[in-house]
Amino acid sequence: MSNYIKSILFAAVLSLVCGGLLTLASTGLKEYQFKNIELDKNKNILKSVGLMDGEDSVSQKTVEQLYSKNIRQIWINVDGKIVPEQRKGKNDLPVYLFSQQEKIQAYIIPIHSRGLWGKISGYMAIKNDGATISGFTVYSHQETPGLGGEIEKKWFQKNFEGKKILDDQGNFVSIAIAKGSVKERIPESRQKNFVDGISGASMTGKFLSAGLKQTLTEYEPFSERYRKNEIK
Amino acid sequence: MKITKTKAFNVFFKPIWESNPISGQILGICSALAVTVQLKTAVVMSLALTFVLAFSNLLISLMRKFIPRNIRIIVELTVIATLVIFADQVLKAFLYDISKQLSVFVGLIITNCIILGRAETYALGNPPFHSLLDGIGNGLGYSQILITVGVLREFFGAGKLFGFQVIPDTFYAAGYENMGLMVLAPGAFIAIGLIVWLQKTVSKE
Repeated sequence: MSNYIKSILFAAVLSLVCGGLLTLASTGLKEYQFKNIELDKNKNILKSVGLMDGEDSVSQKTVEQLYSKNIRQIWINVDGKIVPEQRKGKNDLPVYLFSQQEKIQAYIIPIHSRGLWGKISGYMAIKNDGATISGFTVYSHQETPGLGGEIEKKWFQKNFEGKKILDDQGNFVSIAIAKGSVKERIPESRQKNFVDGISGASMTGKFLSAGLKQTLTEYEPFSERYRKNEIK
Repeated sequence: MKITKTKAFNVFFKPIWESNPISGQILGICSALAVTVQLKTAVVMSLALTFVLAFSNLLISLMRKFIPRNIRIIVELTVIATLVIFADQVLKAFLYDISKQLSVFVGLIITNCIILGRAETYALGNPPFHSLLDGIGNGLGYSQILITVGVLREFFGAGKLFGFQVIPDTFYAAGYENMGLMVLAPGAFIAIGLIVWLQKTVSKE
């Protein structure tokens, strides 16, 4: 048998064996991984409204308890009206409500944005005034660690707290990531609509700003109903 | 024959101190900088790397007589990549938080030069048992440095170990401050540099 055929045969068999083993491992562990991802999402929802710190490690049970006690998922249509889950259509959007003492404190919007290298997914919580951001978290992204990857860090996400999605006149302007420090780059009247950028990651900031604007625009009818006090 | 004179003993213990992959051969520095801010990630990374190194050495040594010379690097990388992806999947299933913190660095074990280096220079020419020992020895050598650097960085950088505060509040009240440099990559460089210096001085005798 010639050397070439031997090499090709060896490579083929090795690939087959390795591929098979990996498929087995991946399908066998999928259930556990899926559970972890779900748990992590719930944790991020809790983090966005400040019910959890994110630093401390808590048991699965605490997360589930906190979640089922405070958070409720609903669906809304494009006009911002709540639709029952059985009748939800293709264009309806999910919202999570955070209520305490029988009153809705904040609503949480899932964020899906483009990043520089892949999709960025997270949550943004907005207070029941329909204008003030109470928290922002990221649970999945593919940005460069140390640069764009900083979006998953607490220092970056903390900047969102207390910022507004409205300008001084009460018009919707969304929230954007500044190029550099907000204090130096943005005029004072607009500072509440911007958060500090990450140095070395202006592209990530650009994409995330666009993604946030798009998502917030989609949810704007719902936010407006909060501002007009139509939902209690 | 004394146990310290056997080949197996040497193969296992030499890389832990004398020819340590990081401080002796200066290999695998990238991950040593990236994952040592906290002790927890350093330990998990060490375990993952030791696992991959031990089994890649063992498997490649078992196949060493059949691997065609001209595609040996591809074969080695295939074996290593399979093990790394497997380790990554297991971490994602059972240690999700830590696997998120380690992010790409588990996947980057594939490109860690320690592993390909051991496969090329040792496993291809030695029997399976010794290769396995060599793999574990080198893995522990790497782990030893990683954990030492992890301890230094978390202790001086954050005043914690494994996430628990070890420097009492009274110290902070008295004006003690965490060393910010230790949290950044240069802190790891300095720590590794000091370890290399220490090791060179001690083993010169």
